[in-house]
Amino acid sequence: MECRVLSIQSHVVRGYVGNKSATFPLQVLGFEVDSINSVQFSNHTGYGHWKGQVLTAEELNVLYEGIKLNNVNHYDYILTGYSRDISFLVTVVDIIKELKKANPSLVYVCDPVMGDQGAMVSSYPHTSSYAKWQPLLLFCDIIFHRLLTGRKINTEEDAIEVMDLLHKMGPETVVLTSTDLPSKQGDQFLVALGSQKIKKPDGTNTDQKICMDIPKVDAVFVGTGDLFAALMLAWTHQHPKDLKTACEKTVSVMHHVIKRTITYANEMAGPGKRPTPAQLELRMVQSKADIENPAIVVEAKVLQKSSQ
Amino acid sequence: MECRVLSIQSHVVRGYVGNKSATFPLQVLGFEVDSINSVQFSNHTGYGHWKGQVLTAEELNVLYEGIKLNNVNHYDYILTGYSRDISFLVTVVDIIKELKKANPSLVYVCDPVMGDQGAMYVPENLLPVYKNKVVPLADILTPNQFEAELLTGRKINTEEDAIEVMDLLHKMGPETVVLTSTDLPSKQGDQFLVALGSQKISKVSDGTNTDQKICMDIPKVDAVFVGTGDLFAALMLAWTHQHPKDLKTACEKTVSVMHHVIKRTITYANEMAGPGKRPTPAQLELRMVQSKADIENPAIVVEAKVLQKSSQ
Repeated sequence: MECRVLSIQSHVVRGYVGNKSATFPLQVLGFEVDSINSVQFSNHTGYGHWKGQVLTAEELNVLYEGIKLNNVNHYDYILTGYSRDISFLVTVVDIIKELKKANPSLVYVCDPVMGDQGAMVSSYPHTSSYAKWQPLLLFCDIIFHRLLTGRKINTEEDAIEVMDLLHKMGPETVVLTSTDLPSKQGDQFLVALGSQKIKKPDGTNTDQKICMDIPKVDAVFVGTGDLFAALMLAWTHQHPKDLKTACEKTVSVMHHVIKRTITYANEMAGPGKRPTPAQLELRMVQSKADIENPAIVVEAKVLQKSSQ
Repeated sequence: MECRVLSIQSHVVRGYVGNKSATFPLQVLGFEVDSINSVQFSNHTGYGHWKGQVLTAEELNVLYEGIKLNNVNHYDYILTGYSRDISFLVTVVDIIKELKKANPSLVYVCDPVMGDQGAMYVPENLLPVYKNKVVPLADILTPNQFEAELLTGRKINTEEDAIEVMDLLHKMGPETVVLTSTDLPSKQGDQFLVALGSQKISKVSDGTNTDQKICMDIPKVDAVFVGTGDLFAALMLAWTHQHPKDLKTACEKTVSVMHHVIKRTITYANEMAGPGKRPTPAQLELRMVQSKADIENPAIVVEAKVLQKSSQ
């Protein structure tokens, strides 16, 4: 397999978020990963302390310039995640536009990290406006929604509508990585949904919508969203017209990594103690076999196939 | 295996040198790798163009401070490679001293990158820093012939010279020394280069010291690779960890992995370049990801000869 990914995410010295979370799984699955580190921090910001440096938009440009001058600005995938800085984001968009011109079949996998549970991850007011994300969305091929459409999701029908709205904004593949929708399997489960537009051989469009019940885990993990996006890249690449399988593999790997992590963290913390952020770092390296060949532990339900 | 490495090396966006070269193999072999990127460049400096930013000694301190404040400055290994900057190197030394205090059994794997084939490619004033501050802290040292000669002030013309130089390096600090390449003539002919290694082993039973000295003939490859030294040091870390008192096996595995990676790389590079054309630096980037199986479980393709076991 000859597949090159450009990943523009954070770097932490210790732990697994951003590029640290995305790179190893992709490399283990055979992808060439070029990585631009948007920051270098000692560790993620959920620890008691964190220190480090950020890359400016100008410095990002300089790095890209180096790649371009050597004529190696050819990628099959781009992967981006968390960004606090709007000028940085704008520079990323410009780079992606250029890379798509160099390779029109480039796939942009975008995790527009903005918030969870209704709260913004970033405190910058401009990121709360989905309109700012529009330029990005036009170029996204695979996207993970949290707050982009400004629409609330209270029912499965709402979820389907939101995914269709997102399709209209650009991406052909949309995954709602977690929702508060009630699961038929009970309150120990959360509901995730996905939607993929597929062109049929006869030229018509169809779409596959799927739904999964994912076991909840009683802990706060950091870096799992970054891992999810990287795995979706890998499994949609292996299964380009089969969102069901891609999601089942992704969610299964997530399950194994998280289970291994929580077991280790509880061991380290000791009985009755809540594990620390350091103890809760994903057991990434230890999960290599699960990444390579995941035992499937979740079944995605196909919701509807409608022709348009 | 619960083993944490702190690696302080370069990061390149594209390609495999420094931390890019060292991290994947170590992770694949089960090590937790914390990495401080001393620079971020678009690619290595052997390409037509390269651009990027360097980390200052102060910024390095700030990153280490973050690790320390969280009480996670506990490592089993430290790995360092190429450095151009005296103040940066001095800061690295201070960090290592502190980490050794926090964990006295910490192993410092040091590649004293200074030059090759008789020419220095770092500022000359780094040599005294290596000699006086860095090498004394090292536990495993992987110099090439030129670097070993610089550090000891002795030339290597014969195998006896090489053995003397390795013993001199032991006296400076490291218990394990590997001369990663020399110009010594190989008994297998001029398509081979000679590498040597020496490891001091304390006999627990009667307290005496012994050492194992080994010698390997390594097939030469007609190409210039970048990042292979960084890969070598990372693999030596991994295999000496698996085989702590068996330098012979550690070196055979390291050199075997190197062989498979290089062979795969040169094959691919020649394919990409086309018949009769010399591959470009971009085409010669190590086929690291494609060599995962060789890293995990290398077919052994070289046999190290044990030279002598002498008690002291």
